[in-house]
Amino acid sequence: MFKIASILTIIESKNNEIKNSSLELLSESQKISSIKNLDNNVMILGKYNEDNLKQINEFGIDSLFIGATDNITNYSAELYRDAVLDIINQLKPETILCSGSAIGKDISPRIAANLKYNLVTECIEISILEDVYHIKRPIYAGKVIQTIKFNQKPIVISLKSNSFAIEKGTKNDIKVKTIENQTSNEKIPILKEIIQPQKETLDVSEASIIVSGGRGMKEPDNFKLIEELAEILDAAVGASRAVVDAGWRPHSEQVGQTGKIVSPNLYIAIGISGAIQHQVGMINSKCIVAINKDKNAPIFKFADYGIVGDLFEIIPEFISELKK
Amino acid sequence: MNIAVCVKQVPDTASQIKISDNNTTIDDGEIKYEINPFDEYALEEAFRLKDNDNNVNITVISLGPERVKQSLTKILAMGADNAVHLHTDEIIYDCMSIANIISEEIKKKQYDLILFGKKSVDQDNNQVGIMIGEINGISCISNCSEFKIEDNKIIANREVEGSIEVFESEFPAIITHEKGRNELRYPSLKDLMAAKKKTIETINIDINELKNSEIIKLEYPNKREEGVIIGEDKTSVSELIRILREEKKLI
Repeated sequence: MFKIASILTIIESKNNEIKNSSLELLSESQKISSIKNLDNNVMILGKYNEDNLKQINEFGIDSLFIGATDNITNYSAELYRDAVLDIINQLKPETILCSGSAIGKDISPRIAANLKYNLVTECIEISILEDVYHIKRPIYAGKVIQTIKFNQKPIVISLKSNSFAIEKGTKNDIKVKTIENQTSNEKIPILKEIIQPQKETLDVSEASIIVSGGRGMKEPDNFKLIEELAEILDAAVGASRAVVDAGWRPHSEQVGQTGKIVSPNLYIAIGISGAIQHQVGMINSKCIVAINKDKNAPIFKFADYGIVGDLFEIIPEFISELKK
Repeated sequence: MNIAVCVKQVPDTASQIKISDNNTTIDDGEIKYEINPFDEYALEEAFRLKDNDNNVNITVISLGPERVKQSLTKILAMGADNAVHLHTDEIIYDCMSIANIISEEIKKKQYDLILFGKKSVDQDNNQVGIMIGEINGISCISNCSEFKIEDNKIIANREVEGSIEVFESEFPAIITHEKGRNELRYPSLKDLMAAKKKTIETINIDINELKNSEIIKLEYPNKREEGVIIGEDKTSVSELIRILREEKKLI
């Protein structure tokens, strides 16, 4: 069937692999393009390799655009933005789909502002009723869910990570297209350095399992237990606001209203009471486990499984049982 | 150096949010409004620049209803030089409209540095500061946990998944601030009294919001069922692992 309109989905790779958050986008873009009968176009930001094509060839993609960002080793908001705008100007998509990654959050407002399109961020559900988008997104850090209807096209939609299922569909012969970039001589910020943590760590916003510690850990050194458990489970280390404010853990690990709002498959809260600011940051986890010595701690009101007891006995036991 | 800090008043993060009977707005009768936490970090960085340099002039700008003036007075007491209240009683949801309104204000003065919180914790949009950069052709480095000024350049640490990108930018520039290292200072009682006499410039805003979108409804998220306590000591660990491994297939 001839398709008159199109969708553009902007995906990212990391360490030569397509990010999970991008696979969520591809699942959703395949759905949207089949409902709205759109030509399903994808653009990849950053480095691209042939293996990436294998990773994405079961998502009903019609064309894959390799922008000039393939040559850009490090992130530049302006160069990435221009590469995306060049494709949009050529393709004129009615829907642009981005991820809620650090890059997605930075680039989507730039695209929307330049094109004067509406942008809706952090979407957790998309429905299409009579060709009109009805979008659900959490507000007040998830204390309330908002449904907004968008009458206008085109629109930029960014999806909250870990909110959509990864579902493969049709295998297509993807046309790979390379786009030349217009160069501009605008003065732009320059990336001077990337500071990596001493050890390669998983970020809470990308992890499918998170092991978080709070005040109950008593002192910063005891987080070694959390780190060890996280390592065995291939999980990210998270932290409550209290321990971040006390300087025990970096802010990048903070889960909660002023930290990261996460929805992993498994969230293990250790020595965390579960104050509302923390709760809103992790309440959408698929499964919550709480370990706390206070049986009246609020966390037990919404955890799926709990152990009431001394974490300094339970965690070492947890680690040794898993090692068996 | 002229610095603008754009702040928003939001419900205190400990607030319970109640949905109004119309199902499209919130009932703010019992809500205590505070300065958006991420804006507080941006403010404190501006004050620290001023602590070390008498030539720094800070203007604080806020869009919102009458109540916003309380926060502006507090910020004047902390050491801001000027305060601008973009007054409207309407709640504006569309970020492009907000960005356009604030852009009009920013154009009135030559600002070297414009600071924002990375997002407001009420609508969680993450858009306005970056959009203002695009609208005005000013470089914007978003999501920065800290920044400094060196040789007339800004060096800013942008937080991304698992690492920090250090960007260098010329002036003018926009920074949207992540949670930083420095908590916002408290004004003294004396400064608060003095600030009440300072003038807040009030500009009434005519809203030309793009009515492209419509809030259909607000609802509470599904309540989680209270779960099960597996046990009260370390002997319950093996049962927990069995559940996570065999029943839930999560590990």
